[in-house]
Amino acid sequence: MSSHTPSATPPPLDLSKWQKVPTLLIAIGGLLAFLGAFVNVKQFGYSWLLAFMFFLSFCLGALFLVLVHHIFDASWSVPIRRFVEHIACLAPVMAVLFIPIALLAGKLYPWMSSDPLHDHALKAKLPLFTAPMFYIVSAICFTSWWFFSSKLRYWSLKQDETGSAECTFKMRRLAATGVFVFAITLSLGAVMWMKALQHEWFSTMYAVYYFAGSVWMTLATVYLIAYLLKRQGPLKDVVHETQFYFIGSLLFAFTVFYAYIHFSQYFIIWNGNMPEETFWYILREKGSWWDVGMILIFGHFFLPFLLLLRIDAKLSWVMAPIAVWAWLMHFIDLSYNVMPIWHPEGFVLHWMDLACIAFMAGVVIKVFLKSFAAHPPYPQQDPRFSEAMGVYIAPIIVPLESKPSGHRAK
Amino acid sequence: MAETAKTYGLIAEFETPADTMHAAERVRDAGYQKWDVFSPFPIHGMDKAMGMKNSKVGWFSFLGGATGYTTGMLMIWFMNAIDYPLVVGGKPMFSPFGAFPVAYEMTILLGAFGAILGMMFLNRLPRLHHPLLKHGRFSLVTHDRFFVVIETSDPKYSELEIRKLLEAAGSKRIEVVEE
Repeated sequence: MSSHTPSATPPPLDLSKWQKVPTLLIAIGGLLAFLGAFVNVKQFGYSWLLAFMFFLSFCLGALFLVLVHHIFDASWSVPIRRFVEHIACLAPVMAVLFIPIALLAGKLYPWMSSDPLHDHALKAKLPLFTAPMFYIVSAICFTSWWFFSSKLRYWSLKQDETGSAECTFKMRRLAATGVFVFAITLSLGAVMWMKALQHEWFSTMYAVYYFAGSVWMTLATVYLIAYLLKRQGPLKDVVHETQFYFIGSLLFAFTVFYAYIHFSQYFIIWNGNMPEETFWYILREKGSWWDVGMILIFGHFFLPFLLLLRIDAKLSWVMAPIAVWAWLMHFIDLSYNVMPIWHPEGFVLHWMDLACIAFMAGVVIKVFLKSFAAHPPYPQQDPRFSEAMGVYIAPIIVPLESKPSGHRAK
Repeated sequence: MAETAKTYGLIAEFETPADTMHAAERVRDAGYQKWDVFSPFPIHGMDKAMGMKNSKVGWFSFLGGATGYTTGMLMIWFMNAIDYPLVVGGKPMFSPFGAFPVAYEMTILLGAFGAILGMMFLNRLPRLHHPLLKHGRFSLVTHDRFFVVIETSDPKYSELEIRKLLEAAGSKRIEVVEE
């Protein structure tokens, strides 16, 4: 690791003039999106769905990072865990933002108005692809995300007061069950809300594809937030080179993982060459969607891959532009998934897309900042904290007989 | 051969990784260039303590990988589209998608070769003999001792200065290594 790193923190930025931005985003974006719903309800629906899936990525990506932190009993990520927990706790917000999609589902998803008797692809998916199941599955998804994210944050905050190792064990148990529920619900969400736009299609890689892109973008964002929080003060003394280096390395890993997953999905369909599968990509090779596909190959994979390849890149200035680039690429990637069915002629950046993104960005940032301000900025009494700081504290050896009963030895 | 033995350098023995690390920092700060640290296991942070830059091995593996990728693509293109055109599954004679898995494997293979050969080249391996191997106590480096060696070829080499520096760093045993 080289020495020209974020550890030599420059003075805090003056962010006071940015304070009104979330409110402005909500006001302007909300107004335009609301108007858009009357101008062209279908365009509004697809724009909203695109923006929703985009911000859901942060929430799920963050939940995944928290789950993984506890499952691996990681120490390095303790100082960044709190704000990641706050992002994961956006689940109820996402549930509220889902309401327009729930209302417009009949218009957005062609399968909802299709007759299973005449549509074999629909009949084959019957127990799942019915209108009631759509809502039940959506409810299950949001409930589980809300349950695990809020429980994990609850015990984390509890530990701030008590410092008890019991909280760590509780969180670890939650994470071990949660990761399975997470995998199932994320798959259901990705399939029901995004893939079902073309329900005739099937790909077992699809949910993993959404997952890989989501975690990738979340990691880039976590890096940026950690950097800003360090520079502005709250995490000044606790986030070090190690944390940045590891987030950067994970980002690099997910750059490759995303490419691997998306390539595999394409390759299997390309190789199998069956009309039931190829039609999805054929639609996306027409018009300017072809160019979007190329942008994904070179911009979503090659560019970040080559930029992040060097060991010292993870600590260099290049990380900030990469984070912004990751948002753009993930947006384009989701657009590539959602929009071709509505704009088969090619990529269109509609003003309603921007309005919905702006509105949700405002909401999400506001809620995040509110929860961040309401709680300690990092876990205060986590038993792994000193380890994360690279400080060795010799364990206190308690003689066997004086050990309190009912306490599990670690 | 009874010529007067040439000196290879000075070897200082240390007993703990922490002492070795601090000694390395002192040697680094004194501005020596031709020196090295030997330990039974990797010590985290030693690179920094020695003031070492990023290893150059990465460039060899990158070049190896790039060569492997290109070779794989060209090989399949030449074989399937030029030398012996073969239609498989109604696909084009050559497509980067079909060729990718093989090209990818070639990337990994030649990338690994690049890393191994680059490492050996940079370390001047294989070599059959090294002056340190003649030094009696040096074999302890595979057991529980740590060594700092400063070579005579260092432009700043001066036996007196180095002895002073390493003694101050806490070494109890400083000896001359003969070529």
